[in-house]
Amino acid sequence: MAEIEVRGLRKTFGAVTAVRDMSFTASAGQVTGFLGPNGSGKTTTLRAALGLIWPTAGDVLIGGVPYRRLGRPRRRVGALLEATGFHPGRRARDHLRVLAAPDGLPDRRVDEVLDLAGLGESANRRVREFSLGMRQRLGLAAALLGDPQVLLLDEPANGLDPAGIAWLRGLLRALAGEGRTIVVASHVLSEVAQTADHVVIVNAGELRFSGPLRELGGSGALESAFLRLTAVPG
Amino acid sequence: MLPQIRTEFRKIATVRSPWLLLAAGPVIVVAGVTGLIQSGGNVHDPAVQSRALAHVGLAAVITLIFGVLAVAGEYRHGTITDTFLSFPGRGRVVAAKLAVYGFAGAAAGLVSSAVAIGTTAAWWAAKGATIQLSAQDTWLTLGGGVAANCAFAIIGVGLGALIRNVVGAVALALAWIAVIEGIAGQLVGSGLARWLPFYASQALDGSGIASATPLLPQWGGGLVLLGYAAAFAAAAVLVTLRRDVT
Repeated sequence: MAEIEVRGLRKTFGAVTAVRDMSFTASAGQVTGFLGPNGSGKTTTLRAALGLIWPTAGDVLIGGVPYRRLGRPRRRVGALLEATGFHPGRRARDHLRVLAAPDGLPDRRVDEVLDLAGLGESANRRVREFSLGMRQRLGLAAALLGDPQVLLLDEPANGLDPAGIAWLRGLLRALAGEGRTIVVASHVLSEVAQTADHVVIVNAGELRFSGPLRELGGSGALESAFLRLTAVPG
Repeated sequence: MLPQIRTEFRKIATVRSPWLLLAAGPVIVVAGVTGLIQSGGNVHDPAVQSRALAHVGLAAVITLIFGVLAVAGEYRHGTITDTFLSFPGRGRVVAAKLAVYGFAGAAAGLVSSAVAIGTTAAWWAAKGATIQLSAQDTWLTLGGGVAANCAFAIIGVGLGALIRNVVGAVALALAWIAVIEGIAGQLVGSGLARWLPFYASQALDGSGIASATPLLPQWGGGLVLLGYAAAFAAAAVLVTLRRDVT
């Protein structure tokens, strides 16, 4: 069981403290919604969890180990981040084959996740021809490529059409049902309300709430609870 | 290191733009040799033959830009995030890029060399002479050109890792060639200029035969260029290790 433990995480960029003393746990077998206004430290926390950003203090463990010490990290953790990019001249299939190379994953697996993400028809097209929704699906395929126990997704529904959003919701619930650890950072509270079991709310770099969705009054009350917890004081 | 190297090969094998860039190298060689003959080069003078063949070193500027793409190109397209997710051990990633791009640079130098020989032979034949390929100097010149291209690919990787911006790094490199090596090199005087990388490269590939500035011996140019390549390679690794990727 690989849970994500954020332990006393602190990150300053020069004079700006993006994250201060953040601690929470995202458990296995559930979808954890990671919520917060822009600039609240969500992205910094996710990137620190993935070894992209070096904490000023504290750490993040995935299954008891920092990301940097995971052998074959894509087999354990899949990530979809907003700023993950694509070489526009590369074919979608080759983009995934580049990600498959480190672990020697076969082309068969690449084709599997392309089909899963609904990109089977577009596999040999270059990414520059892809719409936003298609790029998002490609990013999701990339996150799923190694069949990881842990998924960290930042705005995964961005650019998806309603069918895509419904598909994603079903996929994440199924993966959580298999015992995987799913963290979804999102601004779309209505979607989080339908998908998440556990909710973490942050504001101005600090933790404001961590607990089951029902503790906030259930899915109907998520927006008002969020706005109350993240209101600017004064 | 093998997974990192395999991945780097797959990266450049699946895009076209770096190869289109490298293809400019042989084009420069053909243009340079042709220009040399058209401007009255004497095909019966062995020194002119050396100068013709030494255009391989000019193509090194292309190889430098090619090297810049290794790291700076990944920042430009945002694929650097995926790279560090695949390999949290960043030092080995940079080392793999140095190896793969250095190898490609050397191969590009080899192609440019072959084109240089072919073009020179063709022009010599057209002007009623035969190219003297048996001269040991010629092979040393070509080997020097291959080595220079390899070194500049590595320097490019380092430059791209330090500046992380393709346009900025290329602009800096071109400005360096034009201003520091071009102008300052002439002004500062012979004692110091020959230690600069492109002057050292001229010593290495023999393209500086007619240069007014005294150059190092070929082996000296090679060592100096090796020093620059090693310094840029080390800087690339060190600066990448602890950097935040935001």
